[in-house]
Amino acid sequence: MSKRPDRLPILLLALLASVPETALGHAAFVEADAVRAVRVEGRYATGEPMAGAQVTVFAPADPAEPWRQGQTDADGVFLFVPDGEPGRWAVRLRQAGHGGMAHLDVPADTAAPLVLATGRAAAPSPVQKTVMAACVIWGCIGTALYFRRTRAG
Amino acid sequence: MAVQSLARVAVGLAVSGSVIADVGHALAETGELTLVADGEALATEGFLPPALTKDGWELRFESILVTLANVTAHQTEPPYDAESGKPIEAVTSVMLVEGPITLDLAATGGGVEVTTVEAPAGFYNALGWDLVPGEDGASMTLIGTATRDGETVDFRLVTSDAVRHLCGEYVGDERKGILEAGGTASLDATFHLDHLFGRADQPADGAMNTGALGFDPFAAGGEHGFALDGLHVGHVGEGHCHVEAP
Repeated sequence: MSKRPDRLPILLLALLASVPETALGHAAFVEADAVRAVRVEGRYATGEPMAGAQVTVFAPADPAEPWRQGQTDADGVFLFVPDGEPGRWAVRLRQAGHGGMAHLDVPADTAAPLVLATGRAAAPSPVQKTVMAACVIWGCIGTALYFRRTRAG
Repeated sequence: MAVQSLARVAVGLAVSGSVIADVGHALAETGELTLVADGEALATEGFLPPALTKDGWELRFESILVTLANVTAHQTEPPYDAESGKPIEAVTSVMLVEGPITLDLAATGGGVEVTTVEAPAGFYNALGWDLVPGEDGASMTLIGTATRDGETVDFRLVTSDAVRHLCGEYVGDERKGILEAGGTASLDATFHLDHLFGRADQPADGAMNTGALGFDPFAAGGEHGFALDGLHVGHVGEGHCHVEAP
């Protein structure tokens, strides 16, 4: 029987399927994907990052109820990936009695860029007097790390 | 947040609830929109340990009188960004209080319900309001008692400054201003007294404390004037507002 290279992945999958589950119990599979994400950065007027600030994300379908909650990191940054629902998304940052909002529009066309409706793109203004500067970047946060059993050798 | 009943002091009450501008909304689809004025716990309970003033005074207020006018709720698209400092460009605007109306923020906890009006459904994501001199010439008057190191003084602090606040969306525990047809929603004009007096339990070098007056300038007791310039007392919940002269 000839072993054509393009059939090798299928053969490997078939082999994996036949291995008892216990034999793979210690195996770790990491899957990652390149996605478009939103990066929110909160800063005080002094330039100090809003580290550890409470973050609440609101999706378009139910703008009154939190879609996701979290916390900014030491740099005042929080990342999230919209679930693809098009419309106006809102992000709220709060800390020690101060807070701010940023809004962005997710288009129905998944290839189209996200649009910042409020907040600040990239560097905050030097005259900024309030809590938060938010920037949204259209890009990827994932790293493609699929472990595919392809073309062994 | 609990909403308390009407202000103890109300001068020149003028509430209209009239729709100033409406683009693309059916007036038949309305709900009830409520305005709350709130000085938060610092107004009703005072500056108590550990939240003393930045210079260590304990404050208790007998009354905190503020006079509001031209309180207008807006629906804007895109959302209004107060940091832009630009005028609010609204799709729909509803005058909540033409005023002037004087309220006592220390009278009741949880905020003072100023008015409830019928308004077109939609998301009221911006609020404009003026702090203006009332009949006595004062736009804000704080009356109370201050204590530090066993010394107690009575004070009356008065400003006649007029300040216009242009604010975006309310920021707080919940998202406010979303009014569905037949439903209810509220908006807050919030006063942060710690921007006047500072807070001992907050970093001394923080922007709020470095800008605040503290109470030492008034330590002699009695009546003093003060200026609101640069203090940014008015908020929408925790959200800051752009301030300018009316």
